Amino acid sequence: MNGGFRALEEKVFDRDLCVSCGACVSLCPYLRSWQGRTVKLDDCDLAEGRCFDYCPRGRVDLDELHRKLFGGPYKEMEIGKVLNVFMARARDSVWTGKAQNGGVVSALTDLAIKEGIIDAAVLTGRGTNLLPKGHIATDREDIFACAGSIYTSGPTLEALNRGPWNGDERIGVVGLPCMVLALAKMRTSSLETQTPIDRVEMVIGLFCTWALDYKSFMAFLRERFGDLPIGKVDIAPPPERLMKITAGDELHHIPLDEVRGFIRSGCHVCADMTSEFSDISVGTVEGEEGWNTLLVRTERGEELVKLAESQTVIESRPLPGDKLSHLREASLLKKRRAIDAMRDRGGLEEGYLTLSQELIRQIQSESKEGA
Amino acid sequence: MSIISQDAPGKTVLLMGNEAIARGALEAGIKVCAAYPGNPSSEITGSLSGVADEFGLHVEWSVNEKVALEVATAASFAGLRGLCTMKQNGLNVASDFLLNLNLSGCEAGLVLVVADDPGALSSTNEEDSRAFAKLGDFPLLEPATFQEAKEMTKWAFDLSEDLGLPVLVRTVTRVSHARGNVLLDELPRLTKKPLFDTSKPRVALPVLLNHELLRDKLRRAGEVFETSPFNFFRGPEKPELLIITCGSGWMYSLEAVINLDLSERVGILKIGTTWPLPEQMVLNHLKKVKHVLFVEEVNPFLENSVKEFFAQNCGDLGVKRFSGKASGTLPDIGELSPDIVISRLQDILKVSYEPLPAEYALRAKEISAQLVPERPLGFCAGCPHRATYWAIKNALALDGRNGFVAGDIGCYSLGMGPSGFSQMKTLHAMGSGAGLAGGFGQLNAFGFDQPVIAVCGDSTFYHAVMPALTNASYNKSNLLLLLLDNSATAMTGFQPHPGTGKTATGHEAPILDLEVICKALGAQVEMGDPFEVEGTTETILRLLQDVEGVKVLILRRECALVRGRTQKKLFNMEVEQDLCLGEKCGCNRLCTRVFKCPGLIWDTIADRAGIDEAICTGCGVCADICPSLAIRKEVV
Ligand SMILES: Cc1cc2nc3c(=O)[nH]c(=O)nc-3n(C[C@H](O)[C@H](O)[C@H](O)COP(=O)(O)OP(=O)(O)OC[C@H]3O[C@@H](n4cnc5c(N)ncnc54)[C@H](O)[C@@H]3O)c2cc1C
Repeated sequence: MNGGFRALEEKVFDRDLCVSCGACVSLCPYLRSWQGRTVKLDDCDLAEGRCFDYCPRGRVDLDELHRKLFGGPYKEMEIGKVLNVFMARARDSVWTGKAQNGGVVSALTDLAIKEGIIDAAVLTGRGTNLLPKGHIATDREDIFACAGSIYTSGPTLEALNRGPWNGDERIGVVGLPCMVLALAKMRTSSLETQTPIDRVEMVIGLFCTWALDYKSFMAFLRERFGDLPIGKVDIAPPPERLMKITAGDELHHIPLDEVRGFIRSGCHVCADMTSEFSDISVGTVEGEEGWNTLLVRTERGEELVKLAESQTVIESRPLPGDKLSHLREASLLKKRRAIDAMRDRGGLEEGYLTLSQELIRQIQSESKEGA
Repeated sequence: MSIISQDAPGKTVLLMGNEAIARGALEAGIKVCAAYPGNPSSEITGSLSGVADEFGLHVEWSVNEKVALEVATAASFAGLRGLCTMKQNGLNVASDFLLNLNLSGCEAGLVLVVADDPGALSSTNEEDSRAFAKLGDFPLLEPATFQEAKEMTKWAFDLSEDLGLPVLVRTVTRVSHARGNVLLDELPRLTKKPLFDTSKPRVALPVLLNHELLRDKLRRAGEVFETSPFNFFRGPEKPELLIITCGSGWMYSLEAVINLDLSERVGILKIGTTWPLPEQMVLNHLKKVKHVLFVEEVNPFLENSVKEFFAQNCGDLGVKRFSGKASGTLPDIGELSPDIVISRLQDILKVSYEPLPAEYALRAKEISAQLVPERPLGFCAGCPHRATYWAIKNALALDGRNGFVAGDIGCYSLGMGPSGFSQMKTLHAMGSGAGLAGGFGQLNAFGFDQPVIAVCGDSTFYHAVMPALTNASYNKSNLLLLLLDNSATAMTGFQPHPGTGKTATGHEAPILDLEVICKALGAQVEMGDPFEVEGTTETILRLLQDVEGVKVLILRRECALVRGRTQKKLFNMEVEQDLCLGEKCGCNRLCTRVFKCPGLIWDTIADRAGIDEAICTGCGVCADICPSLAIRKEVV
């Protein structure tokens, strides 16, 4: 018995750890996503529930997950298990400008649908007032509409749970590390799932250091820019440390420190920067505008990438060594901070983020050296 | 023909206390009756409305108690007898007028019947309305039997005319709502042309002069009361204990004395004219006893009056012991009962009494529990209020700012309990929900950011919400009022009101359009259907979050009971049990555990939800909340 909804409330909501990934939404009438928050509508007293079972901020046993999904214990403590690392960008100029970096995520999704590897992809688009919303994309137009990053967290997986599905589609999902972790938990859950998780054939994970809280960030944008339409938002990591926002026709630079206060509290305990349970993980390449870093983790991920290369959907290059080691460092730093934050909140002992003591020690000492 | 209009002097009929009061008013030859409904008073005016045409009366449901009293008073001023009825809370509303009317006095007999609700069985308080008799120097009568209910009401008109002062009659639930034999008298059929005597202006001024006159009238009432047949003594010449009682306390005391076989030891002084005290009579009885027990409902009114009087005269009377509510001998909250009086008499007089074998009471309880299904206090099946509160609950949860409902008086007051998902957090007088919400709306400037939703019913709106709404508009408050228009005064028994197009006597009336009124009072008005739960939720959220100022959302759906009488079901409902998830993750009995419409049942054999055909009214709302689309609605 996992404690069900009451445990979700006590361990996740009450500690303000929910990141609104949407994994628990649309499964039952008690939870709903609203303006970037997961809201409890009524009390549910079941001793066991999918909500808490799937929650990426609920109990996580990395070893067990790893064993079930990759066939071995959790060892690669920096960026997770990888088969192949390189940098790439989409060739088709259609993605340029709209896509966040190299457009690889959109291009791969487009290819997977075109080739019939998947029939539909669960993506994330901007709803009214920039509200992130899960979208079921079945063609290029849908994918285009969702291209680009939204830096507030939203209930992408709610769309996966909700459908509508015919029941025979093969499904792809693009998501943040929390969502990818939730998918891993869904896949390995011992509960009767009643979700289409068994038909998820491709998971593309994004890199993510944190996401912002929708309501407070929106209030900030409104205060800053009034009713000006908000265009692309991008993050320039250290040394720049800027959030670049196009408002109206102008590009504005906002020091990251000004938005840090809006980071979701649940992001501080996240130990995963690179979506370690994906088929393919994609992020930026620091200092290389218009390129993506790719981490290929599974055979089927590898197949899709190979296909993309052979059809010249993407062009790829080796990732320079310094960039890879920097990525490893950043990822390890996120882990160390998460371990501290989890410890502060008393979650480490309770089995949130189960890592061996040895691994924890190693992470802490190595990231200190790196920092 | 109505039971109260039988022209059969000398005949004995079984009447409800409130019908007896109505009959008394008819025998007194009233021409006008005005009231606002409220338990336990409603049947007085309700039954008079049924005979209004037959007797050529004007009977009306006024929009509130103050107006009702003014309407009845106008009749008195013009020389026609007028009756006004209300429940105890209503007297507070009427009191502003009442406490000027004492000074101006009245012409023809004017009687105000107030029905108190000891134990607050259907009220928000258990106020003792008798305090107003002392406060405003009004003669006060309290019937103890059904016959007295009729006789006293009738006599109250004579007394009022005699004194030129309105007379209060106070009844309580157990007198108003029980039934007993009543011997009928003649029904006068007088015709008189009303005329207001302009040489006698009815104004409170000059206050001091009128106040003096009022005191005189009250003294005169006291003198009349000394010989009133409504006051009498039963018992031995020198009792060990004297019970002084009034109203329903008389029956309780009598029952106790008879059951305990104490007729030789205990005397009962039953007083029907409780203010001002028939002092000489009281004095005579006090002389003969050492110990007095007061038995009366709600406050120690008689008890304290007698004690005050005693304090003036204690030199002659010597030491006495007084027991009652003020002394802590009887409970000073809740309703009395014969059992309570019996147990106190046992204590005081050291007698033992075995009412019934203890197991009998236990068995009776067990058996009745089997026969009577458990019914928690809640909304009826198909009640639009349940759907409304569902939408409110979801809207406030989604809004996430710890919002709440400022409640008001009506069926929807049940919104404070599980049936309204415990959304209502304030509940006071008629109209207070909107008034409070308007006040909360002024606190935003101080950083208050909880959303507040006021609710009120249609009848309550006309009664007391209009000033609150006007105030909110004028003072630029931020207010969301949900006007739950179910086209009835449902709580008190479906009396018509200004929105229904019908008068108390069933005649046509202009409909005073709520939407038009709210707009005229400066509100932004939207219409909605509470059965459209999702749409209503969204509208509420939008109005709370995006629209500033005074907003009224009129949610219109007829009361399920009214609908049930006049129309057929909207839908035939059915649960497709294969689809029902029951207690499984994904549902966990949302419909029978949380939504809890009585039309839904939990089928313990199938472990699935089902529809109770006999109770379901076919509103279709549960089909919209079922997460697995297992509840089907089919248009009838
Ligand atoms: C909140 C957030 C934080 C990020 N932080 C980092 C970081 O620290 N370092 C780094 O290297 N990269 C980070 N990224 C990833 C980066 O912004 C790009 O998404 C990634 O490089 C892929 O680029 P692309 O051009 O291939 O994407 P595109 O082709 O533009 O496709 C982007 C995809 O991302 C999905 N998406 C957009 N917003 C969200 C969201 N809020 N939730 C879930 N899915 C979404 C869309 O469905 C779309 O399919 C972050 C992304 C997000 C959304």
